[in-house]
Amino acid sequence: MHPPLSLIWFFLTAGVSIGLFTFTYFMEFLTLFDKNTAMPKQAVLISLVISLVLIGLGAIGASFHLGHKLRAWKAIRRFHTSWLSREAVFSGAYGFLLLLYGLSYYFNLSMPIQHFFGIVAFILGWLSALSTAMIYASNRFVLEWYTSLTVLYYLNMYLMLGSSAFLALTFHYRAEFIGIYLFLTFLFVSLGLAFRIAFNVRQFLIPRPTINEALNLPHNRPIKVLDTGTTTDNYCTTEFYYKKGKELLNSVLPVAYILTFVVPLFLILYSWITGNYNYTFYALTFASLLVGSLLERWCFFVEGNHVQNLYYGLYPEEGYRLRKGYMERKRTRISLY
Amino acid sequence: MAQFALVIDLNTCVGCHACATNCKEWNTQAAFGPLSDFDPYGRAPQGVWYNRIMSYEVGSYPDTQVFHLPKSCLHCQDAPCVPVCPTGASYKREQDGIVLVNYDDCIGCKLCSWSCPYGCREFDEADKVMKKCTLCIDRIYDESLPPEHRKPACVLTCPARARFFGDIEDPNSEVYRVIKERNGFVLFPDMGTNPGNHYLPRTETKVHVDEHLLKHDNPLFLEVLRRHHVGG
Repeated sequence: MHPPLSLIWFFLTAGVSIGLFTFTYFMEFLTLFDKNTAMPKQAVLISLVISLVLIGLGAIGASFHLGHKLRAWKAIRRFHTSWLSREAVFSGAYGFLLLLYGLSYYFNLSMPIQHFFGIVAFILGWLSALSTAMIYASNRFVLEWYTSLTVLYYLNMYLMLGSSAFLALTFHYRAEFIGIYLFLTFLFVSLGLAFRIAFNVRQFLIPRPTINEALNLPHNRPIKVLDTGTTTDNYCTTEFYYKKGKELLNSVLPVAYILTFVVPLFLILYSWITGNYNYTFYALTFASLLVGSLLERWCFFVEGNHVQNLYYGLYPEEGYRLRKGYMERKRTRISLY
Repeated sequence: MAQFALVIDLNTCVGCHACATNCKEWNTQAAFGPLSDFDPYGRAPQGVWYNRIMSYEVGSYPDTQVFHLPKSCLHCQDAPCVPVCPTGASYKREQDGIVLVNYDDCIGCKLCSWSCPYGCREFDEADKVMKKCTLCIDRIYDESLPPEHRKPACVLTCPARARFFGDIEDPNSEVYRVIKERNGFVLFPDMGTNPGNHYLPRTETKVHVDEHLLKHDNPLFLEVLRRHHVGG
């Protein structure tokens, strides 16, 4: 699949926004149980402003992949069937509730009102994240995405970005929480690594359809694509098959792994084990996670193979053969010319 | 419920692209047009087509067969492109089962094309909306046209008469009959889309020579003998 950069931009901005707000509000929420976890007002306001600006920039950026940006409001109509519609509603509502929470916090309104806005914003933020993930996880025609791992990794990515951003914030305002957030960042990055490895390994194991199934022909006949009806690329071959991306994938994916998981884990563990609490480590951790996640999301799109590519001979090669009276899956040749 | 659809006979389709060309010609100037082109006379022409013809070779040499597969929107009965549309621009008509796009509501998010396993929706970069086969809905209900012309442009133009149009749920229709009699099949049945468009499979043609043709008193047989004799 061709990676739309505006969507990757939205993933990162919404991820940092919702992730950072999650941990910022979580610390405020714990004060309801008489815990001394409240951040200084300045820190909370800085965090909220960053979250608000990022979700706004994300929404603006995401609209760039739309053909008609001014009609984007119409995306609320199919809330009952479309995950994209739900994402639009929830992310918009999250931004609005975030603003209300920020205002109620700034003007010191009563605690029940503050926490009401905070809890609702928290829930809407995560519903927005879930909806975004489900747009991809519910697409049964891109088998690489059609798994709960897509959702798990995506939600965990928000936690990775949020916890590492909050780690950098808490360094300046409540240094006693550095240890806890080092652990949380380590936990989420480790989980992310596990989910991503599982996501990649699964791609070798999923039973893929064949061109014979696409054409509804018996499995034991080799099929060759002679002509695709066009002398050049068309929408189907450019949108669903990113040739340049496929060539670059083997180089980009290792870099994405290194920047998203290896570098942050190394920095976090080094700081944790040696007790060397240095802001540079945390800033680097966040920056590495951000750039790594950008590359990782790019790879996520390029790794996706849409089943319509079968008609163009552009789908991963796999097929069946007759052996001892039953059909056995094997790799068969599907060539374009 | 009625389900208008095309039935394409792969046995007679010669892959001449006349259906695609006439589709483009009609629809680019009709109600659901234009079908924008970019660099049409240059080195890399690109554009929107509702109908594309793919050619495949089946079997191993020397036992191979080539067949041509005209592929346009299949107007699925469980169209997966419809529920994912966030604005409701993609919809399926209840009265005839045709899947259409309302260009005024389409925001161009392309999600519907991601949810089509057949690759039958194409984004128009000029109009910034998703476009697809309409089964020439502006022809089939146009009462100003003679009744025999109220068919999709591709069906009317097919020189091999390989394309049929009608209600596949109506037992009295021609398409219902040919699907039933000639084992019509659909593309990608495993995807659970229940396509409306069907294809008629290729059948092997065997020439059977009756024994009476080989009798001595058969004039054709004598003709063959005489030619053979004259020819030396």
